[in-house]
Amino acid sequence: MLNYKSSIIENKKYSGLSIKEISPVMKLNLRGKSRDFLSTIGKNINMILPIEANTSSSSDKYTSMWLSPDEWLMVSNNIIDKENNNYEIGDLLFNKISKTNLGAVTDVSDQFVLINLEGEKVFDLLSSGCPMNFNKFKEKEGTVAQTLLSQVDIIIHHKKHNNVNLFVRRSFSEHLFSWINDAASRL
Amino acid sequence: MSNNLRVKSSNYIDETTIVSFKFNGKNYHGYKGDTLASALLANNVHLVGRSFKYHRPRGIMTSGSEEPNAIVQVGNNAAITEPNVRATEVEIYDGLEATSQNCWPSVNFDIGGINNLLSPFLPAGFYYKTFMWPASFWKKYEYFIRHSAGLGKSPTKPDTDIYDHKYIHCDVLVIGAGISGIMAAKIAAKNNLKTLLLEEKTQIGGSTIYQNSEKFKIDNKNSSEWLINEINEIKKLDNLQIKTRTSVAAYHGYNYLLARENLTDHLSPSEKKGKIRQRLLKIRAKKVIVATGSLERPLIFNNNDRPGIMLSSAVKKYADHYGVICGKNNIFFTNNDSAYESAISLHKKGIKVQAIIDIRENSKSSLVEEATNLGIKIYWSHTVVDTVGYKKINKISLKKLSNDGQSTTGSKINISCDCLGVSGGWTPAVHLFTQSGGKLKFRDKDQVFIPNKYPSKQISIGSCNGDFSLNDIIKNCLNSLKKFLEIENIEYENLDIINPIETEKRNIWLLPSDKVIGKTKPFVDYQNDATAKDIKLALREGFRSIEHVKRYTTTGMGTDQGKLGNMHALGIVADTTGVKMSELGTTTFRPPYTPLTFGTIVGRNVGEYFDIFRKTPMNNWHLNNKAEFENVGQWKRAWYYPVNNETIYEAVQRESLAARESAGILDASTLGKIDIQGSDASEFLNRVYTNAWSKLGIGKCRYGLMLNEDGMVYDDGVTTRLSENHYIMTTTTGGAANVLGKLEDYLQTEWPELDVYLTSVTDHFATASICGPNSKKILNKLIPELDLSDENFPHMSFKEARIGKIKCRVMRISFTGEHSYEINVQANYGESLWEHCMEAGKEFNITPYGTETMHLLRAEKGFIIVGQDTDGTMTPIDLQMDWIVSKKKYDFIGKRSLYRSDTIREDRKQLVGLLTENPKEILEEGAQIVSDLSKKPFEMLGHVTSSYFSPNLKKSIALAVVRGGKKMMGKKLFIPMEGRTINVTIVDPIFLDKENKRLNA
Repeated sequence: MLNYKSSIIENKKYSGLSIKEISPVMKLNLRGKSRDFLSTIGKNINMILPIEANTSSSSDKYTSMWLSPDEWLMVSNNIIDKENNNYEIGDLLFNKISKTNLGAVTDVSDQFVLINLEGEKVFDLLSSGCPMNFNKFKEKEGTVAQTLLSQVDIIIHHKKHNNVNLFVRRSFSEHLFSWINDAASRL
Repeated sequence: MSNNLRVKSSNYIDETTIVSFKFNGKNYHGYKGDTLASALLANNVHLVGRSFKYHRPRGIMTSGSEEPNAIVQVGNNAAITEPNVRATEVEIYDGLEATSQNCWPSVNFDIGGINNLLSPFLPAGFYYKTFMWPASFWKKYEYFIRHSAGLGKSPTKPDTDIYDHKYIHCDVLVIGAGISGIMAAKIAAKNNLKTLLLEEKTQIGGSTIYQNSEKFKIDNKNSSEWLINEINEIKKLDNLQIKTRTSVAAYHGYNYLLARENLTDHLSPSEKKGKIRQRLLKIRAKKVIVATGSLERPLIFNNNDRPGIMLSSAVKKYADHYGVICGKNNIFFTNNDSAYESAISLHKKGIKVQAIIDIRENSKSSLVEEATNLGIKIYWSHTVVDTVGYKKINKISLKKLSNDGQSTTGSKINISCDCLGVSGGWTPAVHLFTQSGGKLKFRDKDQVFIPNKYPSKQISIGSCNGDFSLNDIIKNCLNSLKKFLEIENIEYENLDIINPIETEKRNIWLLPSDKVIGKTKPFVDYQNDATAKDIKLALREGFRSIEHVKRYTTTGMGTDQGKLGNMHALGIVADTTGVKMSELGTTTFRPPYTPLTFGTIVGRNVGEYFDIFRKTPMNNWHLNNKAEFENVGQWKRAWYYPVNNETIYEAVQRESLAARESAGILDASTLGKIDIQGSDASEFLNRVYTNAWSKLGIGKCRYGLMLNEDGMVYDDGVTTRLSENHYIMTTTTGGAANVLGKLEDYLQTEWPELDVYLTSVTDHFATASICGPNSKKILNKLIPELDLSDENFPHMSFKEARIGKIKCRVMRISFTGEHSYEINVQANYGESLWEHCMEAGKEFNITPYGTETMHLLRAEKGFIIVGQDTDGTMTPIDLQMDWIVSKKKYDFIGKRSLYRSDTIREDRKQLVGLLTENPKEILEEGAQIVSDLSKKPFEMLGHVTSSYFSPNLKKSIALAVVRGGKKMMGKKLFIPMEGRTINVTIVDPIFLDKENKRLNA
C-alpha cells in the first residue's frame, strides 16, 4: 500500500547527452576479506567479484563494482518490482554471509540514486565539475571511480562507450540532478 | 580624421567590416580585428587615461597585457561594467562602450591634475606621514582618502553573465603560442602526447607572425611565411587542442594551473547573449612548457610618461599587425637593436622616422647598417633628457652621455616629434615560472633574470628563457625539447636560420638628466606614479629589502603588477645601494598574471549552486504544507509549519501542545544511520560508547554517548541490536559523516583485529517519528498485525514489520519524552509512509512538527543536543550524565581523559536548568550568567544554551552551563541584558516527567 516515489522525476535530453534515472534497482553493499567470503559470493551470484581496484564485473543479472579492498557495490542490471522490497538475492546473501560472520551484506537500494548519462558529451559534462582525469577511464569499459561531481560524492561506472552510471546518495540527488542539467545546458 | 593613420591593409584587420564603438561618450569607427587601443590610435586618440596619484595625462604605451596606462572601464551597465581592462586587450565590437578611469570631470580636463603641480609635496610615504596627526582626525581624513583611492568603478548590481569551470588533464601544456610554443606543441602532439596550447591573444604566432623583414629567414623563407605554414600544419593535429584568448592566471605546485578562457568578450551584446562569458580552466599537466616570451623594457628618463611615448615593439606591432601608425613624425630611443627593426619597418611604409637616439657608443649589426643606409639619423651615446607636450608629446631634448653614463655633457638638442618609441631591452616573462616555485638567476651580460631551477616537470623555452635571437630561440628550444620530452628524432633539426646579430649592449637603469633628480619625473611604475626619485627617497629613509621598497613606494603594486618597470626599480636599488642584482633578488610574482573577474573564479557556484542542499524523502510534503525550513548542515529540514499566518512562536506553541496532548509527527530522516555487522560488533560498541553494550538484548535499543579522545562529548544517539552481530547506530544529523569517518579510522588503524563492518544507510531509510499519547493508536491503524502491548513492544525496543508488502523497522524510542515510535522504511516509500501516518492520525489531530518544536520538547525533558548544549568542552560528568559512564569497562574512547585533574575539577562549567523569576520572561540563548552584579567587570559564570517558553509547563525554561553549577541547585543568579537584569534560579535540567511516566504510558 505504500507508493514508490523516486527523488528524480523527469528524464532530460540535450544535444549529445541524455540524462535519466533508472529505478528501482536493487543495490547491495558487500563487505568481506576472506577467501570464503569471495567464493560464497561467487557461488551464489554466479559471478566473481572484481579484485582489481576501480574495476567491475557483470553477469546477465548483476554488476559488481570494486569500492575498496573489502567493499563492493552490487546492483541489479534490470529494474525490479516497485510493489515489493523483498530481494531474494539480498536475503540469500545476508543469510550466507552476514549470518555466518563471513562479512557483511547491507541493502543500500535507496541509499543511492542511479543516474544514467549517455551521449558523446558525457565526459565533457563530467569534466565541468569533476577534477578526475578521465583520459584513461573513458578508454576502458567497466571502469569504476569514486570521486566528487560539483562537490557531491559519486560513484561512476563506465558501462560502455559514452555511457556511464552515476550513483549518488539520495539526499544529494536532487541537487546533483539540477546541477547536471544546468551544466548540460552549457556544453 | 581617422583613415590617414591606416598604412596598409593588414592580414589581421578586416577593413571591409566597420565596427562602431564609443569612447568617453564619443563615437568612433574601427575595423574588425582591431583592439580598442589600435582603433583609438587609428583615430589619433592617444590620451586615454590619467595616472593614479598625480593625474598626469597618459596614453597607450604597449600592445599587450602588460599595459600600465591604457586601462579603461568597459560598459556602463551597472550589472556587467568592468573596471581596469587593458585597452590593448579589448577587441572592439559593435556597441562597445568604454570610458577613461581616474579622471573627473573628463580625461581632457581633470581637476585632479592639480596633484601634478603639488607633486613636490606628495612624495612616497606622503599619506603614511601626513595623516598620522592628530590621531583623532583619521576618521575625517579617511573619508576623503577612500574617495580618491581605487581604480575604476565596481559593478553595483549582480553579475548577469554566465561563467563556467572546466577541468583539463593533458600530457603536455604549452603556454604561449609564439614561434617556440608552436614548435613545441607540434613536436609534443606529433609524438603521441595529448597537448594543450594556450595563447592569451586572439591569434597564435606571437611577434614572428607579422615579421616582414627580409633579415629574418627560416629555410629561405621569411620567418612569418614559414610560421604561417607551421600554424596551418598544427591545426590539423588531432592530439593538439589550441585555445586562444586564454590567459594562464596561476601556476601552482605539481603542474596545476589555472587559466581564463575568454569566450564572448569580443562579441557584440546580441551575439554574446546566453553564452558563457569566461571559463576557468583547471589544468593538470604531466609536463609544462612555458613559452611566454618577453616584455620590452621602457627606459627611465625625465618625463618618460607622456601620451605618444610608447614601447618601440608596440609601435611596430600597431604598424605591421594592425596597420595603424602611432605618429607621423617618429623618433626612437633605445639601448639595443630592436628599435631599429621598428624604425626600418616604419620607414619602409613611408612613415617619417626623424632619428634614433641610442645610448650605446655604436653597434655594427645589419639592422643598424640598414637604418643608416635608409638615411635615418642616429645619435650615438645620447640620451633623452626631457620631453614636452602635456596631452601628447611634441618635442624631446637630448644630450650626450658621459662615458660612465651617470651624467650628460655638451649642449641640448631639441627635436620635435609626435611619437617616441622606446626600447630598454627585453625582460623574460618569468612570472609563471616563479609562481610555480622556480628559482631565477641573473645574467649579467644582458641584465636579465632567467629560469634556473625547475620545481616540477617543466621547461621554459624561447625568449622567456633568455633566448632573444631567432637562431638561439629555435636551436635551444629544440635541444631542450628533445631532452624534456624524451624524443630521439626531432623535427626541424636542420633548419637554416638567418637573423641579425646584436653585438653591442649598454644598460643604464636610470638615465641622467641635465637637471638634479629632485626636479625630474622619471617614472618607474607608470600606473602607480612611482618615480626613480621615490625609490631613492625610500632608500634614504632606510628601506633596504626590495619588498619594503615596493610597499613604501607602491612600485609594482598596480593592476599591471609592474610588468614594465619592476626591473628598473630593482636596478635603481642595486645601483644606489651598491648591491649586485643577483643578490638583491626580485619581488614575489603572485597570481593572477592578469586580473581575473570574480565571476570566473566563482564559475557556476552561485545562486542555487552556491552550496549543496540535501533533502529528505518527505521534503515535497513539507513544501506542499507550507513548512518553513532551516538549514541543518546541508540538510533542508522542516522548521515549523505555520497555520493561518502564525508566527514561529505561535506555531511552536501549538505544535508542542499537540505532541504532548494527542499526537505529533516529525521527519527524522536526517539522523545519521550506520549499519554495523561483524562478530565483534558488540565489542566495538563497547569501545566507542561510554556505556556497556554486551548485554543489550536482541531487539532492544540503547542510548549511547560517544566521546572524543579528550573526554569531551562528541556525538550521541540510539543504537538498536537487530540480531546477534548486527546493529543499527543513529548519530546526530550534523555529525553523521564525521562519526562514520572517525569509527572507520579507529577500525582501520587502532583496532584492525576487530571483525566489524560499517556501512552508511542514512539515505537508504526515511524515518517518521510519531509521538504523543495517541501514537500507539495511530501505529495500530498503520500496522494492525503488530502487537503493540508493553509486554511485546516495550519502550527502547524494536520490531520488524511490514506496511503492506513493504518491509520496515519500528523502534519505540523517544526524544520528546512522550510515548513514541520511529518508523523506518526504504527512502523511496518515505513520502507515502508520511501520508499514511497523517491519514491514520487524522482522527487524533496528528500535528506535524518541525525542528524548533522538537528542540522545545526535548528541553522540557532535559535531553541535550550535542552541539547546542555542548561545545566540545563538556564531559558527560559536566552534563550530569554520570549514569551513562561505565565504571566497569576496561576502556572506551576518551576514558582516560575523564580522570585527568582538569576534567574532574568541580568548578567546571556544568549543565543545569534555569527558571526565570518572571515565568513569562524568555531568556536569550547565549546570554551570560553572573552571581555578583557589583563586581565590575562582571565575572561570567556561564551562559544559556537552550531557552523556550514551554506551553506544557506554562512557563519559560532554559538550559545553561554554569561554573560549578551542579552544587548550586536553588541558587539565585543574574542575567544582565541591555538596560535590565533578569533574575534566575538554578534548577534540575529535567523540567517534565522526571519519572518517565509518559514514556511508558
